[in-house]
Amino acid sequence: MTISVANLETRQVDPTKPLLEVDRLVMHYKIKAGEVSAVEDVTFTVHQGEAVGLVGESGCGKTSVALSLMRLLPNNAEYVSGQIRLDGEDLLQLTDEEMRTRRWKDIAMVFQGAMNSWNPVYRVGDQIREVLDTHFRGQMTYEQQREHMERLFAAVGLPGEMLDRYPHEFSGGMRQRAVIAMALACSPQLIIADEPTTALDVIVQDQILKELKRIQTELGMSIIYISHDIAVIAEVTDSLGVMYAGKLVEYGPTTEVFARPKHPYAYLLLKSTPSITGPRRQLAPLEGEPPDLLAPPTGCRFHPRCPFATERCAIEEPPLADIGGGHRVACWHWEQVPDLEEALLR
Amino acid sequence: MIRFLARRLVQMALLFVVFLSIVWLLLQAMPGDISDTLVGNPDIPREVRFELRQRLGLDQPLHIQYITYITNFFRGEMGVSFSRYPADVSTVIWQHLPRTIVLFLTATVFAFWLGFKSGKLIAWGRGGRSEQAFILGGVFLQTVFYPWFAIVMMWVFGFYLGWFPISRFIDARLWQGSPYDANDLFEQMILSTLLVTVVYVVGRVLIKRFATTVTMEARLRQALVLVTVGGLILFWYLHPARTYVADIAHHTVLPVVTLGLVTFGATMLLTRSAMLETLGEDYILTARAKGLPDRVIRDRHAARNAMLPVTTSLVLSLAFVIGGGIVTESVFSWPGTGQLLLQAVMVSDIPLAAGILAVTGVLALVGHLVADVLYTVLDPRIRIT
Amino acid sequence: MTLGEPTQVQQEEPQPVGIEPSDSAAAAELVRTPMWRVRLRLFRRSFARNWALFRENKMGMFGLVLIGIFALMAIIHPILMSTVWDPKVYDPVTGYDAVLTEYEVVEEVTDPTTQIEVSEARIKLNPTIKVGDTVRIPAQPAPPTWTGENPHYLGTDPQGRDILSQLLYSTRAAFFLGAVAALTTVIIATTVGSVAAYFGGWIDGGLMRFADLILLMPLLPLLIVMSAAFDINMVMLGVLIGILNGFGGVAIVLKSQALSIKVKAYIDAAKVAGGGDWHVIFRHIVPNVLPLSFLYMMFGVTEAIAIEATLSFFGLLNVPMTWGVMINTAQANGYLLSGTQYWWLLFPAGLAVTFLAFAFFIVGRGMDEVINPRLRAR
Repeated sequence: MTISVANLETRQVDPTKPLLEVDRLVMHYKIKAGEVSAVEDVTFTVHQGEAVGLVGESGCGKTSVALSLMRLLPNNAEYVSGQIRLDGEDLLQLTDEEMRTRRWKDIAMVFQGAMNSWNPVYRVGDQIREVLDTHFRGQMTYEQQREHMERLFAAVGLPGEMLDRYPHEFSGGMRQRAVIAMALACSPQLIIADEPTTALDVIVQDQILKELKRIQTELGMSIIYISHDIAVIAEVTDSLGVMYAGKLVEYGPTTEVFARPKHPYAYLLLKSTPSITGPRRQLAPLEGEPPDLLAPPTGCRFHPRCPFATERCAIEEPPLADIGGGHRVACWHWEQVPDLEEALLR
Repeated sequence: MIRFLARRLVQMALLFVVFLSIVWLLLQAMPGDISDTLVGNPDIPREVRFELRQRLGLDQPLHIQYITYITNFFRGEMGVSFSRYPADVSTVIWQHLPRTIVLFLTATVFAFWLGFKSGKLIAWGRGGRSEQAFILGGVFLQTVFYPWFAIVMMWVFGFYLGWFPISRFIDARLWQGSPYDANDLFEQMILSTLLVTVVYVVGRVLIKRFATTVTMEARLRQALVLVTVGGLILFWYLHPARTYVADIAHHTVLPVVTLGLVTFGATMLLTRSAMLETLGEDYILTARAKGLPDRVIRDRHAARNAMLPVTTSLVLSLAFVIGGGIVTESVFSWPGTGQLLLQAVMVSDIPLAAGILAVTGVLALVGHLVADVLYTVLDPRIRIT
Repeated sequence: MTLGEPTQVQQEEPQPVGIEPSDSAAAAELVRTPMWRVRLRLFRRSFARNWALFRENKMGMFGLVLIGIFALMAIIHPILMSTVWDPKVYDPVTGYDAVLTEYEVVEEVTDPTTQIEVSEARIKLNPTIKVGDTVRIPAQPAPPTWTGENPHYLGTDPQGRDILSQLLYSTRAAFFLGAVAALTTVIIATTVGSVAAYFGGWIDGGLMRFADLILLMPLLPLLIVMSAAFDINMVMLGVLIGILNGFGGVAIVLKSQALSIKVKAYIDAAKVAGGGDWHVIFRHIVPNVLPLSFLYMMFGVTEAIAIEATLSFFGLLNVPMTWGVMINTAQANGYLLSGTQYWWLLFPAGLAVTFLAFAFFIVGRGMDEVINPRLRAR
């Protein structure tokens, strides 16, 4: 189903051209006790029409990356260095007002727990109309806006008359869909979906993911999925990145990273799901806890918990190096990783 | 919603009857028979006193008196005033009531508007020196000894600066020999303001229906404000009695501002804490992500939700405004029911005092109801369940 | 890789928190300590913690300091009266001192505190007085004098009484009233709130309806009318205010607090253990509602002081001397609009009421931030 009203149309995508380039992004939070190194030297690229996934434990920095992209960080956050280029333009160099005009129009976001994204005192339709009034002021009549919103709702499988209802009259799943509809309202080039399906039951989860995928491919949008649920991510993304303690430790095509993870953390994370069909095997435990980002470990941040850690790992930080086929790993001992399973079972 | 309101109304009416009963009990607690107090009044002949006892039903058994009192009240009969004999209590009260209501309403609206606006702004500003100063000011105004404050205000702005008249409702010299009656003019002023408000509300509704784009709606709204407010001012400017009207208005400013200032502190502090809580909500982050301008986020999203708890507390500040109104009227010699109450108590004019107390209760009740209605209007989660 | 055989994975025994296995002696000791001592220890610890939090709040600390100053004022007065001050002159109600004040004799008076009109001087002293003379006439209210046999640091009132003495004496009255009113409110409101929350049903409904009624009644007009019916003194006033507030809004707030405690597991545990209704209410619910009650006590004092001062200002109370009475005296003798000329009649008393009310209020707000963590500065 296509959405095309006024100047919102499906776009032609060239999957080789980059849309969003995150270039060595470093972001810290300033707190009373010091500086928290939340995002450290993260680099990846989202191409036109591509679906990218970011996985990792809670607190690994994936939501911080998402908020950084839209410059929605709280007041005590500081961009230390790096660039975020959208269509070649560095977003970090823009003024607040310039960034504001790009929000939602070029990049939209579906938040974690999106059910609470709605202001309880206004109708859902009015809240969607807000973005149209802000970004396309004076270009649409009320009737045109209404038509557009009804089509948006239809695209996510919601009846048009729900536009006149208040958020508390929607169920959780419906609210989630409505949020997605609102994200599409200005036909952005990129959508960031932060845990879009947490707190929904599995059936609704599945439906929403399929909807998103379909809309994404039809409209030629790029999308960044953020989740701690690897199964979800693996299904819908083209590329996958694994984050740990504020660093991107592995990145590559989803099929590659998922089937043959090369970073010890990625391996343990991805292989921690028991397989229903495969042979019975012991779950590989991951001991310890993620580090305190106020005073992160020296060298490789994973070394205190890594079974392969050597002296070098505690001193030198491994760069995110290309190992072929678009697959990048940040580890000194990535070649030994397939032996991990044996090492653990011994 | 109508059902909810009807239920509240009945609840309130019942409560009020209990309140009235307490007032009646108070009446009975006064030593001696009411009519005994009249004995000392040389203007009242004995036969009249006897008739009065009969009329007041004082020769009836107690429970009949009670029922009569309650029913009489709802019929508008509250007895005869001692100090203003032979005037009816209800007549006397009715003469003074509009002025007190104007004082209340204007001061409350002023306090709410100022408090809400300032609370909203300092919460948004996220700290800094000016926030501390405002909070301190708000707390000071809330705890300052009101009679003292009113006297100081009167002295500073009335005496020292001479900007406003010191007391009373009108300047007697100005009105000598004028063809107009102050009360009449005052009532006309009230009516015209009410009319304009109604026109504004209707206008807004019509605009909503017939506007086709956002920009058109915004322009029409601005035009409406201009037409209504401008029309009101123009009307009174061209009116032949305009100097007298200006005099009345001039006298109203200082009492209203004084009462408003001490009330606004509470609203401001409450708005600030309500805003701080609202600003932590998810939908505020969403609003920022949507690229909405700061002002829209602050006013349409944060402040609008902060208004809910503030409205609830409006009810509590009502009691303060009523009490404060009495002090204001006393200090500024503003001829309303508050001043009347004090005068009545001084001369032990019990029926009048009790009558005013009962009417004050009605005012409080109406205020409660209005706050309830306001809250349901503001929060759709209550309206639609 | 071996399959089919479960492999042993090494795991450590989880350590029990706090009590080391070898420390059974300490554990036994803990069990033997009487309940009240344990409670006391916990109370002291939480108090210390809350105190540390409270200290961070500058305004709250300032309020405490203010209250301390006023307390000093209240204590100083009886000391002064029995040592340095002569009761005949300095008693706040019955003292009298016609202070000899110097006046300049003039044709037309522009400043009544330092000038006197010539004809008036002639009448008061002797007919030979001329313009330009300086005369000394006993006058009241007299402006502050810092020297002489009986200094009046804040002057005297229209009846010749020392203002400072009145000010200090009234402090005691204010504290007394505040305490009576606030305590009454808290006792009633806590009980009402806890009982309503605990029993629920029609007891709850009835109490809350009654509270609605109280909320409906504006306090000041009611007290004004009551003052016409009865002679109200300090104790009565305190109790009246306390009752009216206690059954009203505060009870409603405390009831919600009590409700949130009632649903906690330990209440059920107490009931199962055989605790009777009143036992549960007073031993379990009330102590947890108390911090919030304490908070409202502060605001209750503020309100009581303000109400008493206002009623005294109108001259409706049967009290010998309070700050409100001082202002009332000034007004009754027509000195109110004098502005800065007779400032000592108006400002000390007015400021005293303001600052004491202010002090209790900000202490209350400070406590609010301790009890309600959400209000703390982010």
